Amino acid sequence: MPIIEVKNLLKKYKIIEKEPGMIGYFKNLIHPKYKEFTAVNNINITIEPGELVGYIGENGAGKSTTIKMLTGLLTPTSGQVIIDGLVPYEKRIENNKKIGAVFGQKTQLWWDLPVIESFRLIKKMYKIPENEYRKNLKKFTELLQLEELLEKQVKNLSLGQKMRCEIAATFLHNPKIVYLDEPTIGLDVLVKENIRKFIKDINKEKNTTVILTTHDLKDIEDVCDRIILLDKGQIIYDGEKQKFKDTFGNSITAEILLKNKKENITQKLYDEDFEIIEENEDNIKIKFSHDKTTIVKIVQILSNYGDIEDIHMKEAELEDILKEIYRGVKIC
Amino acid sequence: MNNIIHNAKLYLSFLSASLKEMLIYRLDCIAGMISQLVTQLVEVIFIWITFQNTDNLAGWRFEQSLLLYGVMLISIGIVDFCFDELYEIGPKYIRNGDFDKILLRPVHPLISIIGASNEFTCLGYLALGLFITISMLIKLAIPITFFLIIKIIFFSIIGAMIIGAINTIFSIASFWTYKSNEVIWTFFRMYTFTEYPIDIYNKFIKFLITYILPFAFVAYYPTMNYLGIDKYMTYLSPLIAIIFWIIAIKIWNWALKRYRSTGN
Repeated sequence: MPIIEVKNLLKKYKIIEKEPGMIGYFKNLIHPKYKEFTAVNNINITIEPGELVGYIGENGAGKSTTIKMLTGLLTPTSGQVIIDGLVPYEKRIENNKKIGAVFGQKTQLWWDLPVIESFRLIKKMYKIPENEYRKNLKKFTELLQLEELLEKQVKNLSLGQKMRCEIAATFLHNPKIVYLDEPTIGLDVLVKENIRKFIKDINKEKNTTVILTTHDLKDIEDVCDRIILLDKGQIIYDGEKQKFKDTFGNSITAEILLKNKKENITQKLYDEDFEIIEENEDNIKIKFSHDKTTIVKIVQILSNYGDIEDIHMKEAELEDILKEIYRGVKIC
Repeated sequence: MNNIIHNAKLYLSFLSASLKEMLIYRLDCIAGMISQLVTQLVEVIFIWITFQNTDNLAGWRFEQSLLLYGVMLISIGIVDFCFDELYEIGPKYIRNGDFDKILLRPVHPLISIIGASNEFTCLGYLALGLFITISMLIKLAIPITFFLIIKIIFFSIIGAMIIGAINTIFSIASFWTYKSNEVIWTFFRMYTFTEYPIDIYNKFIKFLITYILPFAFVAYYPTMNYLGIDKYMTYLSPLIAIIFWIIAIKIWNWALKRYRSTGN
């Protein structure tokens, strides 16, 4: 049975249409004109327990609005959300017992108190049994290296330290579902890797369902098996990560070291089968796809313009593919 | 019932957490306490000046009025201690986005909010209130019996609960006017109706603050009881406190539901 079921979910906001100037300002004050804005437009999602889902899209695509409806913070305009058998915006407190959430840089910890005090309060709030609490605390302390942080005041922690504590706090009550909204924003690489590994470990052990929204696609690449891509409030892709890459990311970039170049190739050469992205003094970057040409053919062509010394090829990463999609490449 | 006990325990845990937080800022605490004391002393001086020109106010003598004022101060001290955070819903929670945080807890948000109260400064009110009350009881030659002490403690707490419920109702304005706190401030200052005996007001206001917004049960009726003028009215106050809390929670939940359907 799916743990998250979203059917025809729709959210419209009313926003005040601003008129310019001082007169417009007063007009608005007395008789505001409203404009409707559809943030989430008829989406359907089904998620099974234990899935690691990357929920991605550009700013304003409707990611946060969706997450807010899934967590029960916001009531939909129409449609339905069922989380583990409950409607979250009707049974908010019941639903809260089963979920955990991290929202960007907002902290759920008590700012002026030592970290461990916040954990104790969370234990009381969620009625975590003593032995379960100790077991989790011990494990999380190890995995997220919290040993020295527990007695420190939250306000004295660095961003990375705080986020590690935050993640621990979120998983402390063994939630069935965890929503992570930009959990790695502003963190350095080591902390990011630490957090990603933690999420994967806990998922494996406890079958926790994780919904991750992030702008750092390395997070998705590392953690998620499934991608849901949102654009202007609508889902434009929902499926396996690997399939996504196979379908939309069949282009390959090659960097070719070219010595004794006689002329500017970009100006001289036009070939339908590949694209020159960048050209410098003695190297050239091109992009091509396997179903149109091969690297051998390209090398043959380029050898007319100089002496090829080295070739470096790279498959498209998630980030490149998304850039492409956002740029308006047709999909579906 | 289990639920109520769990919530009460949580409230106390939150409260002790926020008091621990407050203790870190000791100096703020002391400064706040002194400034509140001064503010209240000014009010007392005003009452004294009023009675320089007249020897009674709607039948109330100076000492009796001051006793009423002292009784009110004790309740207000408790209100500030327990419900001060209601005043912060707009600026501290909604505008900052911290409101989402407490909405994600498996606890009613009101418990999180009033549990975050950290007003130590109200000890100033409490001390001054007790001092005035006791000295006026002595001056009026009212014997301070054990029963009277219990009554004063009990009715002061009930009075604070009544104001707490009324403030909870008014606090829903924060959902719409979270950018400024002027509206809330005006509402929350309405308790000043209880500073004077309600006999000085006209029929309409008297009715309003007895039955609609029952501020009269905070200080007026208890004082009437202590003075032996009206012995029975004040015993209605526990019932009124319960009724108003039920109403307050219902209204608050309704407002919260509306807030969640508009979103920000």
